[in-house]
Amino acid sequence: MKVNEVPQDITYYEGVKRACFALNDEGKYVVVASIGWDDEAVVNGLAVDDLAATLEDTRKAVLAGVKSPLCYHMERRQMNPEILAKTAGIATFRVKRHFRPEIFAKLKLSVLDRYAQALAITKQELMTVPQK
Amino acid sequence: MSSEVTAAGKPFIHHHSAHCESGATSALFRDKGVEISESMIFGIGSGIYFGHLPFIKWVGLPITTFRSRPGTLFAKAAKRIGGKFFTKRYHSAKKGMAELRRVLSEGHIVGLTTNIYWLTYFPNRFRFQFNGHNIVVLREIENGFRVSDPVLEYPVDCLTEDMERARFARGPLEPRGFMYYAENVPLNPDLRLACIAAMKDTCKMMLRTPFPFVGIRGMRYLAKKTISSPDKLGFKEACRRLANIVRMQEEVGTGGAGFRFMYAAFLQEAADLFASAELSQLSKEMTAIGDIWREFAVVSARIIKQRGQPEETFEKAGGLMLICAGREEQLFRDLDKIARTLKA
Repeated sequence: MKVNEVPQDITYYEGVKRACFALNDEGKYVVVASIGWDDEAVVNGLAVDDLAATLEDTRKAVLAGVKSPLCYHMERRQMNPEILAKTAGIATFRVKRHFRPEIFAKLKLSVLDRYAQALAITKQELMTVPQK
Repeated sequence: MSSEVTAAGKPFIHHHSAHCESGATSALFRDKGVEISESMIFGIGSGIYFGHLPFIKWVGLPITTFRSRPGTLFAKAAKRIGGKFFTKRYHSAKKGMAELRRVLSEGHIVGLTTNIYWLTYFPNRFRFQFNGHNIVVLREIENGFRVSDPVLEYPVDCLTEDMERARFARGPLEPRGFMYYAENVPLNPDLRLACIAAMKDTCKMMLRTPFPFVGIRGMRYLAKKTISSPDKLGFKEACRRLANIVRMQEEVGTGGAGFRFMYAAFLQEAADLFASAELSQLSKEMTAIGDIWREFAVVSARIIKQRGQPEETFEKAGGLMLICAGREEQLFRDLDKIARTLKA
């Protein structure tokens, strides 16, 4: 890759630039800041859309009363039950059980506290999901 | 490049790096007066690698990696260049943070392993649960720390709360507050000796491995798997898998083409160091291989964008990967031979 071949497509870096290695005119490697690459945006877009779609499904499931808000907030933090369990200090099988709304509704305050702490949100947030 | 001041009042030049671990390690060396580039550290730490681990899933997708396991680059580079490094992990977050403050007040700059999700100074797109991101802390400021994040263009501020979460995040590859800094380093390290050891090690990892999932064998395995993936998994899932490979190759701070360009830069520097025309030739070959990897990314992006149009196919993408495997195999065999003839 030559310096003038470093992609400078305006994509989604939100103003952040990334370092790329490229050859300059004398054939020496230099570091060039890149503002983005369209092909990479396509690939990354697929992954981001995937995550967003799963999260939206979960939100609807919570509103329909199939899952508990805990599941939504876990996915929002891009965690899985294992990571959440370790972070909150609660066994994985219990975390999974708490995804059932009827069980989540009966949780003690101390347990909710640990989840709120682990997910870095308030307890009020933990009990609800966005309506829109 | 931009200048900053460390806790000791020394000037610190922030270099924009492609890869976090090599960037952080070279920053630590530079702070102690050893001028060494990111690509040199990357080569000496044997950072280049290939692995496809179908049995370890990350967000439901098998892991493909173009780099060595997080942590080994720093350890190998430190060992081969020499010098005394302090490294420690902590059970207690409180103690870990207190130690960080103490070391900063002694005037060192400190490397930390963190979880990138909790570093809120990153744009949301970059944030995902990955426990192997390395940053360098320069000094303490009000409510937080001044941080030189190697992959960002300029130093940034990080809140204490974010820092604590990031350092003590749980999950796979837990950092457990891993902290490292240079106590003293030799001012004129023997880079030639380090380079030779590193090249041999790299060739060993890429060529002579008993596992079919890593090195050149892993590349061939993944290429064949990619070619058959649309029939086996269905087009949509195959696209997801392919996208994940390209993400690992381009997205996660690789300097382009899954670290291949960075390694070419290392070979170029090594060629100057040894005044070796052969190494310089290998650097050019590595650049050419990197360009094929880039082409693979372009083809993959087209497959995904067109969603089913026959123009670009999985056979073509897998074929490009096989070409890369063949040429890289030859390159590392040549490098292995050359490394044995080089004199320290």
